[in-house]
Amino acid sequence: MKLKSKLTAFFAVYIIALSFVPLVHDTLLSQARWVGYGTGAYEYQNQHYFVLFNDPYDGSSKPHIHVNPDFAPAARISLLEFSDWTSWVNDHNLFNEFNATVRANPQALDVTYTRPEIAIHKFVEVSSDSVKVTLTSDEEFRAHLEIWRWVMTSINGISTKDAPKPLAIEPTRLIEFMFEEERLQSLGRGTIALSALPVETKIWPHEKGFNKITIDFVNSEMSFTVSGSMEAAGTPSATWSYALLPYVLPVVAISVVALYLLVDKYGRTLKDRATGRSS
Amino acid sequence: MEERSRIVLLAVAVRFAIAPFFMHAGDVGTIYESSIMALKGANIYDYVYVKTLQLQNTTGLPIFFEGYAYHPLLVYFFAPFYWLFTLIAGPSPVMIDGHYPSLPILIYPWTPLLLLMLKIPIILADAFVVYLLAGMDTGKAKIYAFCPYVVFISIVWGMFDALVAVFLLASYLASSRNNLLSGIFYGLSMLKLYTVVLLPLYLVRLLGRWRALLEFLGGFALTLVPLGYFLIVSPNSIWNVLVTFQGTRLMGGVNLYNFVWIVQDLPFDLQISMIPNILLLAALVFLIPTFGRKAPLLKAIVAVMFVYFLFGKVINEQFLVSIFPLILLCRECDHRLWVAPFIFIFLRSPFYYFALPILWTSPIFYSYYLQADFVWRQLQAAGYLMIPMYAVGVAFSLAIFWNLLRILESTRAAVTLLPGPAAVGSRSMTGGLTRLIRSELSLREPFHVRPAFSSESRQRNTPSQR
Repeated sequence: MKLKSKLTAFFAVYIIALSFVPLVHDTLLSQARWVGYGTGAYEYQNQHYFVLFNDPYDGSSKPHIHVNPDFAPAARISLLEFSDWTSWVNDHNLFNEFNATVRANPQALDVTYTRPEIAIHKFVEVSSDSVKVTLTSDEEFRAHLEIWRWVMTSINGISTKDAPKPLAIEPTRLIEFMFEEERLQSLGRGTIALSALPVETKIWPHEKGFNKITIDFVNSEMSFTVSGSMEAAGTPSATWSYALLPYVLPVVAISVVALYLLVDKYGRTLKDRATGRSS
Repeated sequence: MEERSRIVLLAVAVRFAIAPFFMHAGDVGTIYESSIMALKGANIYDYVYVKTLQLQNTTGLPIFFEGYAYHPLLVYFFAPFYWLFTLIAGPSPVMIDGHYPSLPILIYPWTPLLLLMLKIPIILADAFVVYLLAGMDTGKAKIYAFCPYVVFISIVWGMFDALVAVFLLASYLASSRNNLLSGIFYGLSMLKLYTVVLLPLYLVRLLGRWRALLEFLGGFALTLVPLGYFLIVSPNSIWNVLVTFQGTRLMGGVNLYNFVWIVQDLPFDLQISMIPNILLLAALVFLIPTFGRKAPLLKAIVAVMFVYFLFGKVINEQFLVSIFPLILLCRECDHRLWVAPFIFIFLRSPFYYFALPILWTSPIFYSYYLQADFVWRQLQAAGYLMIPMYAVGVAFSLAIFWNLLRILESTRAAVTLLPGPAAVGSRSMTGGLTRLIRSELSLREPFHVRPAFSSESRQRNTPSQR
């Protein structure tokens, strides 16, 4: 075997082998732990939930909880998003007026928000059946949190028909909401279980449903245990998801390498024929 | 007017016409703020290092602030033009922020003038490259002068790989007549540090010619003086910025390694990024003493840089500019290599991002920007752009590989046609893999390199090594 053929074979195998790295990582290595990446974002993936905690430049998705439907495990359907942009503690905006540092440990993502007068921890813990977001401090604090989803068709049985304007609902420790997912032609339901009774809970209508829930409370600790599920209604059409990329890249690699080998072999032969040389 | 001058002037005119209206905010912003700091006498590396420490403290991740991570001399190519700008516009800020992921605030009417001034060193570098190429082959000079890829990187993007290109070309051209100058030019080509892979090649070729080696090293050492200064005054900062950052960067770019961008696990990504490092080292260890030492310098430089493009873990869109003049001079190379990184630019960054200086002139344009960016981010978040990016990266790596093989093959063919007494000598060399490579590639005889600036070479249309 000529050296050129050996080198070509090595390089082809090298490209194709490396293209499987994302798939190997996703299936074997990344499950059920917090992984940091990019400019400081973190994510967690288990069988049912994908949770993104955005990088320090962005006040949204702090965290953003997605559900992986049983009937479409690679699809990541937005369930709820906590926003630091639109949340306040003691009248100070969480994103703009606190210094935030993030640390990951096997149990939880620990985000520390500090100001001279107060330090608050936000812990994000993911289990197989729920995602728990806890705000805690050594001292009592007053908080206004906004939790978003585009959109919830009903919250605690109330639809936008019943509440065309922002509505303060009866303070409760359990919020249940429904949503529809057009791409998957499916219905979803979610719950938020609060560890203590809030001072006020408001639901905010948007065009086709409610797009946010605001919760005001005064406490030294409050946790929000979020869970969600989806059920197929009708026949879901095949959908594309970012999570499918690890399956696609090997196909791309094999295709491009195959094209290269074909052009290298037959392209040269055709050229040689054209110039009257033997290959 | 002779054609050579006409091509140079036209190339400069095209660049001056475009320069004020486009930029890559992150990269031009880095040069802008570095120039300000240089004029104030501030330590650029301390600034970047502090930002990195802040970032790492905030995120708990081994990530780096992507600021000025270049040779200390680089900023002195730009600072004088920034100083000239301040004579006209004053010292008030013109570009505020702009480091990814922030968008800059641009102050008018000064932004176009600032962009023009900061791009003058790049335009001059391009002009020198065109001038040098036109002295050998006006056709090649025209390709460089008006290649959309080169114009885009230098003038639309505002990236300064043209400076690397001109010094690398000058180092190659000077190597056959003045080793001191060749060493200085080579040292200057390390304004971007990736040309460091050529150092062993230059040294190996000069082994045994001690005077030439000393001259080369003397010239090279001159360019390292500023590095030495910073190593004394702020060793931690410069080490972190130049060595730790550059050495532990995540692989990716226009290459087969950009799949790592979808593996969202930084510690894992950093570990796997060592794979190409190992292969790069192995390839250089085998290639330089065998092919690199014996082949013509032009082919050897291009071959080593191609190996870097294959196994260097970070190959950004602009890197090809640095060796583009040498690729044009290399008969075996296909200069259409530029197409892949050119396409890649528009897959990685939205085209309108480069037009911020135009779009920021009006709130209406700004709203268009936001609308377009919304669509772009959706495409990005869905992963649609990653597929063509990966395909182009793999295709570019394969194209580089194909060109590398052509260089190696052509050398074998040339030697087969010109067997000489040295061929017998080389056969006596022992050593397993070295012998294998030698026998497979039939590298038997050192090529005779004619002086690049000799009267003979000046009269020819093609460079002496071809």
